[in-house]
Amino acid sequence: MTLLTVDELKHQPEYQALTRARARITWILSAAVILVYFALILLIAFTPESLGRPLGDGVTSIGIALGLGVILFCFVITGIYVYYANHVLEPLTRAVVQKVEHAS
Amino acid sequence: MKLSVIVSLVLALLGSTAWAQVEGGRSGAHGSAIIMFVAFVMVTLGITYWAARRTRTAKDFYAAGGGITGFQNGLAIAGDYMSAASFLGIAGLVYLSGFDGLIYAIGFLVGWPIVLLLIAEPLRNLGRYTFADVASFRLRQRPIRILAASGSLVTVIFYLIAQMVGAGKLIEVLFGLPYEAAVFIVGILMTLYVTFGGMLATTWVQLIKAVLLLSGASLMAFLVLASFGFSFENMFAAATAVHKNGAAIMEPGTLVSDPISAISLGMALMFGTAGLPHILMRFFTVRDAIQARRSVFYATGFIGYFYILTFIIGFGAIVLLLRNPDYFTDGALIGGGNMAAIHLSHALGGDLLLGFISAVAFATILAVVSGLTLAGSSAISHDLYATLFLKGQHNEKKEIRASRIATVGLGIIAVLLGIVFENQNVAFMVGLAFCVAASANFPILLLSMYWRKLTTRGAVIGGSLGLATAVILVVIGPTVWVDAFGFEEAIFPYKYPAIFSVSIAFIGIWIFSLLDKSSSAQAEQQAFETQFVRSQTGIGIDKAVEH
Repeated sequence: MTLLTVDELKHQPEYQALTRARARITWILSAAVILVYFALILLIAFTPESLGRPLGDGVTSIGIALGLGVILFCFVITGIYVYYANHVLEPLTRAVVQKVEHAS
Repeated sequence: MKLSVIVSLVLALLGSTAWAQVEGGRSGAHGSAIIMFVAFVMVTLGITYWAARRTRTAKDFYAAGGGITGFQNGLAIAGDYMSAASFLGIAGLVYLSGFDGLIYAIGFLVGWPIVLLLIAEPLRNLGRYTFADVASFRLRQRPIRILAASGSLVTVIFYLIAQMVGAGKLIEVLFGLPYEAAVFIVGILMTLYVTFGGMLATTWVQLIKAVLLLSGASLMAFLVLASFGFSFENMFAAATAVHKNGAAIMEPGTLVSDPISAISLGMALMFGTAGLPHILMRFFTVRDAIQARRSVFYATGFIGYFYILTFIIGFGAIVLLLRNPDYFTDGALIGGGNMAAIHLSHALGGDLLLGFISAVAFATILAVVSGLTLAGSSAISHDLYATLFLKGQHNEKKEIRASRIATVGLGIIAVLLGIVFENQNVAFMVGLAFCVAASANFPILLLSMYWRKLTTRGAVIGGSLGLATAVILVVIGPTVWVDAFGFEEAIFPYKYPAIFSVSIAFIGIWIFSLLDKSSSAQAEQQAFETQFVRSQTGIGIDKAVEH
């Protein structure tokens, strides 16, 4: 009976493909959320007046449009990740699990 | 049944006091709205009771029998998260200062992508329910549990204050009772609710509450928008015309007036969500990882939608309330800014809508409060008491007794602090709870999953520093030092300490982990590999090896 230790599993191509894919998507999307959110926070912190400028001719301000935009952005990012994870990460995970089961 | 009898007795008592006052000619109590309120609360509690009875085992409680879809679970997560305090609080902030309320609305949402991307899946794969469980995967149980329980307890208390103030104000406005009496009644109701078996915040209960709160808020936002011809521009134009700050309500202003506060608030809200003690469990209520991810997607959608509604409601309140002197005494809104949404419901739909919205808000507060009290009392009895005094020996009888005492203790603390913080905005108080969670819990949670070199010593020292800094800076800051204690000037000038306390926690954990050269530290660092593999794949590696 062959044993697959943690150390051996770490060197399997399937495992490496999974961790790489997961690391790439999670850190890229997290960085996007953090950047967008803190960009808004820094605007609020340092140039609050610029956010008060009206969008077009009316009173609706740039800040309000940006704020609602960030809420929408969070929703879209979550959607992208869920789609990617369910369509790409899930098969990769199954491949790793199969490898482990075959080895044992 | 015992419970429903008690609840109806307390409500009947409330009703008769209010009637006496209506007949006595005192203003502030809304006769027919009270009947609506009591009826709706009874119906909601009835549904809750019915749903709770269907839950018999711990597995039912978490997994709701296993038949929950991602969509349903998303609603339940949203129900856990959309507390009435944030509904009343954000609407109140928008009413007071316009744009600033939106900062909270965004902040409460933006933590969710972070939870999904970095925390949820490893947690699920590891098969751990709370951050204390995750951290003690490779670190030492005892010190980690004590720290985790302390962090959770402080978070729970700040959260409780917010809910108490919200519920107290609601009862004050609706029944015309003095605020102290209202908070006292809420405290008694909540303690009874939890000690007499309590109704657990099951998946079904949260789901129903979420639907009620979302429908109520949707209806209000719809009515507001309808009165402006469904044009945001018209609504903003009307609001800037009547608000005393004029066009300034369209930009950040009074609430976050300096850069440090803005960044601090941003950090607290973004990283606090992941550190909340009662949120992470819901990733286990669905069958598989696919449904778990979907539920966070739906939850993010519902929560975002809800906060946009709250924002509209706040602007509606500016226009419709400021024009109507009925909602004011001596130039101030009756019950304070936190009651803007409640008064607006009356302005939009009379006593009927007032009764409905108040009842939904109150029932939600009761559910959130009992969930929080349960989390707090189990932190005391299960983690602190059992670890410290029973030395880890299992003694269910003593633990249950400790948890009863803890519940009553928390009830008393909540009432006292609820009275002290009467005039604080409740969304702001929830923000303080997030600040503590971001400072004490989040750094350990994140680093235990992604940083190999974390050791018990580093986690305990850094986490304690973060927790202590957050609490001390809040106490010597404007909110407690000036507003609650009545000193002239705050020692620490900023309302939110997160930028300092979160940094101190991370730096502390980093330095003391690297300095830790003990043999246990080496073992803990080596165990990271096993933990990481499992968090990535969900394979119980040990089991697979033994096959």
